[in-house]
Amino acid sequence: MGLRCYFGGTAIQTLRMAVIPASSSSSRFIFGRPLSKTLTLNSLFLRRNNVNYLTRPPFTLLTKALAATAVQAAPPTETIDRGVVKPQWKAAIDFKWIRDNKDAVALNIKNRNSNANLELVLEIYEKMLAVQKEVERLRGERNAVANKMKGKLEPSERQKLIEEGKNLRDGLIMLEEDLLKLSDELQQEAQFIPNMTHPDVPIGEEDRSIVRKMVGCPREFSFPIKDHLQLGKELDLFDFDAAAEVSGSKFYYLKNEAVMLEIGLINWTLSEVMKRGFTPLITPELVRSSVVEKCGFQPRGDNTQVYSVEESDQCLIGTAEIPVGGIHMDSILVESMLPLKYVAFSHCFRTEAGAAGAATRGLYRVHQFSKVEMFILCQPEESESHHEELIKIEEELFSSLGLHYKTIDMASGDLGAPAYRKFDVEAWMPGLGRYGEISSASNCTDYQSRRLGIRYRPSEPTSTNPKMVKGKFTPTRFVHTLNATACAVPRMMICLLENYQQEDGSVIIPEPLRPFMGGLGLIAPKFSRAE
Amino acid sequence: MGLQCFFGGTTIQTLRMAVIPASSSSRFIFGKPLSKTLTLNSLSRRCSSINYLKKPPFTLLIKAFSSTAEQTAPSTESVENRSVVKPQWKAAIDFKWIRDNKDAVALNIKNRNSNANLELVLELYEKMLAVQKEVERLRGERNVVANKMKGKLEPLERQKLVKEGKNLKDGLITLEEDLLKLSDELQQEAQCIPNMTHPDVPIGEEDCSTMRKMVGSPHEFSFPVKDHLQLGKELDLFEFDAAAEVSGSKFYYLKNEAVMLEMALVNWTLSEVMKRGFTPLTTPELVRSSVVEKCGFQPRGENTQVYTVEGSDQCLIGTAEIPVGGIHMDSILAESMLPLKYVAFSHCFRTEAGAAGTATRGLYRVHQFSKVEMFILCQPEESESYHEELIKIEEDLFSSLGLHYKTIDMASGDLGAPAYRKFDVEAWMPGLGRYGEISSASNCTDYQSRRLGIRYRPSESSTNPKKGKGKLAPTKFVHTLNATACAIPRMIICLLENYQQKDGSVVIPVPLRPFIGGLERIAPKFPQDE
Repeated sequence: MGLRCYFGGTAIQTLRMAVIPASSSSSRFIFGRPLSKTLTLNSLFLRRNNVNYLTRPPFTLLTKALAATAVQAAPPTETIDRGVVKPQWKAAIDFKWIRDNKDAVALNIKNRNSNANLELVLEIYEKMLAVQKEVERLRGERNAVANKMKGKLEPSERQKLIEEGKNLRDGLIMLEEDLLKLSDELQQEAQFIPNMTHPDVPIGEEDRSIVRKMVGCPREFSFPIKDHLQLGKELDLFDFDAAAEVSGSKFYYLKNEAVMLEIGLINWTLSEVMKRGFTPLITPELVRSSVVEKCGFQPRGDNTQVYSVEESDQCLIGTAEIPVGGIHMDSILVESMLPLKYVAFSHCFRTEAGAAGAATRGLYRVHQFSKVEMFILCQPEESESHHEELIKIEEELFSSLGLHYKTIDMASGDLGAPAYRKFDVEAWMPGLGRYGEISSASNCTDYQSRRLGIRYRPSEPTSTNPKMVKGKFTPTRFVHTLNATACAVPRMMICLLENYQQEDGSVIIPEPLRPFMGGLGLIAPKFSRAE
Repeated sequence: MGLQCFFGGTTIQTLRMAVIPASSSSRFIFGKPLSKTLTLNSLSRRCSSINYLKKPPFTLLIKAFSSTAEQTAPSTESVENRSVVKPQWKAAIDFKWIRDNKDAVALNIKNRNSNANLELVLELYEKMLAVQKEVERLRGERNVVANKMKGKLEPLERQKLVKEGKNLKDGLITLEEDLLKLSDELQQEAQCIPNMTHPDVPIGEEDCSTMRKMVGSPHEFSFPVKDHLQLGKELDLFEFDAAAEVSGSKFYYLKNEAVMLEMALVNWTLSEVMKRGFTPLTTPELVRSSVVEKCGFQPRGENTQVYTVEGSDQCLIGTAEIPVGGIHMDSILAESMLPLKYVAFSHCFRTEAGAAGTATRGLYRVHQFSKVEMFILCQPEESESYHEELIKIEEDLFSSLGLHYKTIDMASGDLGAPAYRKFDVEAWMPGLGRYGEISSASNCTDYQSRRLGIRYRPSESSTNPKKGKGKLAPTKFVHTLNATACAIPRMIICLLENYQQKDGSVVIPVPLRPFIGGLERIAPKFPQDE
């Protein structure tokens, strides 16, 4: 009941039904680590420090003051006007669940190296409930006064009641304002709480991540190998120097066969994933910053990974996950539509702020790249199996290109706030002499759908909780969302060039791609080596 | 000689040799709904934001200097406080040519509806030459004084010379500063001057444009035609509503066969153009704003078509012409490398500021789209024939897709500042019930290369044997040309609307089928009566 007013009229019961607990937005969203495909987000330390929570007068005092008598309400209101930024949108966070599962949430925050302040969230929540209760009480009193005034009264008695009624009304107005501010503050704090974590996820830092699967082994070369930069130079495939002048460092032109390879990879990947029942999309690459936030990314701040457009609230996407996540924003889907499986091609743009010192030669870490991304919206009960499906598709794609790779169940400390579980694939890059991340598959459960407002209405017979089927419609539930890289083109290009290089300086095109490259089987040097 | 100091050490002779005169941006089109070119903020805004008339005339200043160096100090302030914005870069504009061809340039400015202020440019130029001359004179005087001081002198006489020398030096410093400011101001003004115009270009507004060619005729339909929006809806090909929520109006998702159609169009177009000897590229889509400017576009201002990144000097490209134009920026190419022919695939981003109210249903005018663009860098003598080559490639491509279209030689009033001549192709869009621009091919002669600093060095035996004295021939500016090979959303409009069938399906043109997995037809996913 106490929560009702925060969820714009949706049935609050569904929040309690969700299999995966409600939880909230980013806290640390990874990720100094060089292999992460996820957007590196500004440390929320930055954001949090702007608002000095400790200097605020405790709300408890305020609540008590108000509870004593409504007439005294006026002065404390001002003190609330502090550093609480009115949220542009609200996540449907299940605060009651968080309170009831406090220890599990606290442990999860710790396991995930999150900066979320659970104590503060619960404190604000309790205050909000108290203010809410007080509002109810005052409303009752006001009604009582109003009722009294209906009868015959002495003028002085009436005068007293009028004054009392006015005081009560003034007090209510202020309390209701406070309630709104508390709810804003609660949102702001609670959005830092990361998603819960799958029980099988290894707890700890990146070094605790577990290899789920290893396919193939590093290719043996009988000649000195080159890295993709050298190969690209000799085969006239890239132009980094001109791009540095025209755009800046970490930009590039693809040239000659690299262009055909990019288009071949996109086309092949789309067609393979479409075969598996996914709907292809090409997405907007400029989106409102609120959508970026709702997907769990931080579009603002000093160290943001996100390019923003001047004098607009639009950002460039860092991944197609964002526009695809948004495609069903604020809607209630029919159960029979689920699962919705999309495969989206987009360009991706990342500032790579803070990635200066990282191992970033050539195409490995760039500001703009092409990517084919898979995205699934499904019922909560099915998200784990779809997560397995996604990683299986990735593995099939990479295997059919003949790559040597390992699939990793990422440790809790290495998960972004939205992910309940994340499988990364790291492929062998012989020229770079190491494994490099080429894909990432995350089950975000209801973390994103609670922010994006994506619900579905279970059909009558299959509803898991028959007790709830009172009215004509079953209550809505939040869908689960999953995302997974099908092909991050530049990293795939590194793999292909470095793994398929030949002693004569040429590079063999893997069989499956050839039909998508006009039958091309080999990228041969254009100039004689002596030139 | 007078110009030398403005061109960072480059041989000034080449400027005079250029076949096509230097000139500059001014109005860059383009209220017109069919234009593919970036609609740019009218430069009248930029030019008028600086009120030149209020400035104290430089002539006064110069006279003050020429009488005696001692009076220079006070005038300096008046020069410094002006609203001259120091240019981030300088175009190699041939001012002498402009002065010597004043009437032709003035007529051209008028014909192209340009706001360029030629009188002011010439005034600034003359002032600059005068200040330059004065600088030379003072330098001479200073040398004379310095020479005098080498001999034996009375202390009083020496004292006088020391003072004179100091005054001369102070005057020179001030004058040299003025010279720099004049040169900045001259740049700013001269960059508004548009390119000259090909003699065959019809003079006048858009309605004076002449048709060069007409291919095919409008397809006759035996059933009521739908526009691409309705077809897209029935065939589940686009999603505009969700895009409006996620991104804003005029954004869209392509879905299902539309995705494959886009990929096929890109692939087919690239492969066709590559067959003709073009080097394929994918380009950065974020570029420095200076590169945008050097290509003749205005990245700033209220009505700019260009998205700028916050807290950076980077912009989103409106066309691959920009990054491809930039690929050889500030370099001297060997003649043997020319022509350089590129075909580039990129996404393009345009604010479409000011396009509200225009006919912009569906995919016709959108903020983001895919485009395959051709770009040629060549010797000046060859740019006209390459312009013909580009329009022929466009026509070949559109013909092989079976479109009905016309090629138009755009009138002078409809040319962007960089274009010497521009051919547009407008194709019939039966659902929209009109012709719509699907491509544009421009010869920019040396307008962009003078800004981007792209020169080449003719080989010894080439055009001007007289110049071949030293070991190296002097450099010349290349000519640049750009032309749309395929602007995907407009091509999708054409294909859907022209190839729609009575049963609601759309036939895929034969040449595209190998690039779309053999698909012959986009069929409705749901029964029509659902």
